[in-house]
Amino acid sequence: MSSIRIKAKERAGVVDVKALMKHPMETGLRKDKDGNKIPPHFIQEVVAESNGAVVFSGSFNTSISKDPYLSFQYGGKKGDKLTLSWTDNQGQKDAETVDVG
Amino acid sequence: MFRSPKSGALTVAFLCFASPALVAGPLGIGETATPEMIAGWDIDIRPDGRGLPPGEGSVADGEGLYEAKCASCHGLFGEGAGRWPILAGGEGTLDTAHPEKTVGSYWPYASTLWDYIHRAMPYPAPQSLTDDEVYAITAYVLYLNDIVEDDFVLNQETFQEVKMPNEPNFYIDDRPDVVNTRCMSQCADASTFEIVTTINGVTPTAHFKEDSGVAANHYGNEAATAEATKVALSDAAVAGKSIYAKACNVCHGAGVAGAPVTGDAAAWSERIAQGMATLNKHAIEGYVGKNGVMPAKGGNMALADEEVANAVAFMVESSQ
Repeated sequence: MSSIRIKAKERAGVVDVKALMKHPMETGLRKDKDGNKIPPHFIQEVVAESNGAVVFSGSFNTSISKDPYLSFQYGGKKGDKLTLSWTDNQGQKDAETVDVG
Repeated sequence: MFRSPKSGALTVAFLCFASPALVAGPLGIGETATPEMIAGWDIDIRPDGRGLPPGEGSVADGEGLYEAKCASCHGLFGEGAGRWPILAGGEGTLDTAHPEKTVGSYWPYASTLWDYIHRAMPYPAPQSLTDDEVYAITAYVLYLNDIVEDDFVLNQETFQEVKMPNEPNFYIDDRPDVVNTRCMSQCADASTFEIVTTINGVTPTAHFKEDSGVAANHYGNEAATAEATKVALSDAAVAGKSIYAKACNVCHGAGVAGAPVTGDAAAWSERIAQGMATLNKHAIEGYVGKNGVMPAKGGNMALADEEVANAVAFMVESSQ
């Protein structure tokens, strides 16, 4: 199951995107019960592309909460393919594509 | 209604004397509930799915309904808008400093979800959803928690396939004092039972009262015990000191269940006057007095009679 859930709805030429990315977003500053530091593990880059063109990109860091919730708007139309992807500091990636409704 | 049989006759008492179906019960009031009246109240859903009405709903159906009726408070993804309840996520957080209790991380049974949505949601218009809509929204919330796939259709049959992730962490309370096995055949005659003991004052409260003379300490009157140990002790009493700390101090340190507090000479003088043999017998075999109860060997049957006698010697010599 993908770590990303997206809803993209077009209204009057504007696509409203809401997305939730499941990610621990560990800062690297926390310690576990035994006092060992929990290694940092957070999303660094988020990119949204519509039909191959970048409509949103962001550099995330440790100040973003666990399971980041993202909302943005861009000019577009119904039926477009919207792809949201993230890359974290450990090199893991995930991407999800939806049709704009 | 949880414990009442589904077909049980229920008498509903009305204060309205003009009620059409008055019955001549002992008081001549009320009327016999009809099956329809019972059905109106009997809407609970059991963990095994009992009580679920016919109908079905898919995750896809639920998505639209959820966004229209639920998402304004619970969030599009069950993340919770503002301070409204979070429905999804929180897996693995129950034993952390900030446990997040959601349908997926905490709830043991999916029946609760169906029951609660049907009974109480949406918040401004409870019980306004049809059964199919409740099925669909329940399926969608399960999907938001990754418990079912996006092509899942929930109905009476597929309900049995839903396994909640946290169910194994719920178990029957296994502490000894909550196990009450019911006798079903050849049971003892209750009329022959006799109450031989009652325990009073198990919760120590004396130390909360001002001027009670008892140290404000849940773990016994340590000050008094410490003072008492200054008295020169016999060998038996010295040997009994560690036994006392393990088995006796719980009650005799704080005066629980009417126990005479160690070091309280006034409380002990009367008892000491009975002689050591009597005190030892009471301590070993148990005793019910006017003030309270002495369980046999302080409830610690692993102790030898001699060890108990040593502990008694310690208490007596510390309390003279």
